[in-house]
Amino acid sequence: MKHLRPINRKAERIDQAASMTEEDVVALQQQPDKPKPHVPMGCSLAFFPGWEVDAGGGTAGLCQPVERDIYDCYVTCFWPVQVADHVNYSPDWASNCAIATKDWRKLDLVFP
Amino acid sequence: MKTLWQGLIASVCATVAALGPAHAGTMFLGGYPSQLMVIDEAKGSVTQEVDLKTGLPMSMRLSDDGKLLYATTITTSGIEVMDVASRKIVNSFSLNTPAVRYRFTGGVADRSGRYFYILGTRIDKGVDAYRISKQQFMVVDLQEKKVVRAIDLDPEDQKFGSRGALMLSPDGKTLYAFRDKIIVVNTADLKTVDHFDLSKPDFPGMQDVSFGGGVGRLQTPGQFVSLFETEDPYIHNRIFGIARLDLDTRQFSFTPIGPSPKALSGLEVSPDGKNGYTVAVNGDLGSQRCEFWRFDLDKNKALDKAEFQCRRRFYFGISGNGQKLYIYGAGFDVAVYDAKTLKPQGAWELTHDITMSGMVITR
Repeated sequence: MKHLRPINRKAERIDQAASMTEEDVVALQQQPDKPKPHVPMGCSLAFFPGWEVDAGGGTAGLCQPVERDIYDCYVTCFWPVQVADHVNYSPDWASNCAIATKDWRKLDLVFP
Repeated sequence: MKTLWQGLIASVCATVAALGPAHAGTMFLGGYPSQLMVIDEAKGSVTQEVDLKTGLPMSMRLSDDGKLLYATTITTSGIEVMDVASRKIVNSFSLNTPAVRYRFTGGVADRSGRYFYILGTRIDKGVDAYRISKQQFMVVDLQEKKVVRAIDLDPEDQKFGSRGALMLSPDGKTLYAFRDKIIVVNTADLKTVDHFDLSKPDFPGMQDVSFGGGVGRLQTPGQFVSLFETEDPYIHNRIFGIARLDLDTRQFSFTPIGPSPKALSGLEVSPDGKNGYTVAVNGDLGSQRCEFWRFDLDKNKALDKAEFQCRRRFYFGISGNGQKLYIYGAGFDVAVYDAKTLKPQGAWELTHDITMSGMVITR
């Protein structure tokens, strides 16, 4: 960051906040025993491709039907692309649907 | 006369059936989107639903005297306290503010009912980013409804995730966090004073429900009994056994039983304290196999086992009278098994999908 300098008041505040932070910004792929980076809130940093197949490339490892498992994924950001994010932007997504397997048509729509 | 006897017997049988199994209890399960389901174990059906204002329940914990139920919620990082007898919410608040959020998955109240210990992280909204704290032990004042004390975990304890059940000694002086190691914490200053190198059996997708069920009904006050695993430092052979931890004196005893399967659930204990049950999982995906294991807790040895049909993700519990074993979640039903024969007895359909908050049973 030495080659950048703030040119307005907001940038000045950001610069001050960054200088007070002990951790550096590091790549997520670095070793787990390295210092942990600050990461923004939300599910966007997790990437689990596919809702239709399990970790082995088949379907035996999925809940049957998959709607049984949709809510716990909704809470824990396990399928961040396919399922809404409860803790950040869609707390009411399941408000009208007590049982996903039976009532999935009542799930709310999420618009970007 | 024969007809009269037959009539009497039929009448008695009908009365017994109507009363349900002896000492059947009341089960509490978290329900989506923001409910506690109250279930009559004798009937196998939901008798009441309690709405939680702060959102989706993620953990439940019974007070030592069994009169209060503490539930934590994830939607707004809330804590709700329910009076078990009246099923009324007597305290409800969220720790989140517009500038500060908290993340935690459960906690334990002290005996006074004033303070609630949690393990989690604090998120501060900054000018350009959210700043996430290190994992912290926090003390919530249930009257002031805010975090009043917090301290970072030691650096060596930061690597493990923030999940981990908490236990408090009866004198309130020592807090135990069950994670990859057992962390022993002095509650006066929240400083870590010791570690035990035994990990509590658990595997991804199976919540540690033994704290909400079995532990709450353990017969020896001040003692924590559960299944633990340990590993030797040379060939890394993992074995499991039954461990007893005296919460006041911090004395630990461990009786090995055998080689660890791929995964074990926590230990559920019958009300008489004689029988312990767990679920062993071997294999994965299409070859996953699940077994109930039964232990004699007096002699610390395995007695019996039986395979049952796995669910991909599930939680394990035991009934209030110790006569039934439960497999529940993900989804809306509870599969019921006989604790003696380990054979299936049927399933209960509930009114909501079950959350990851575990199961609490009162009698």
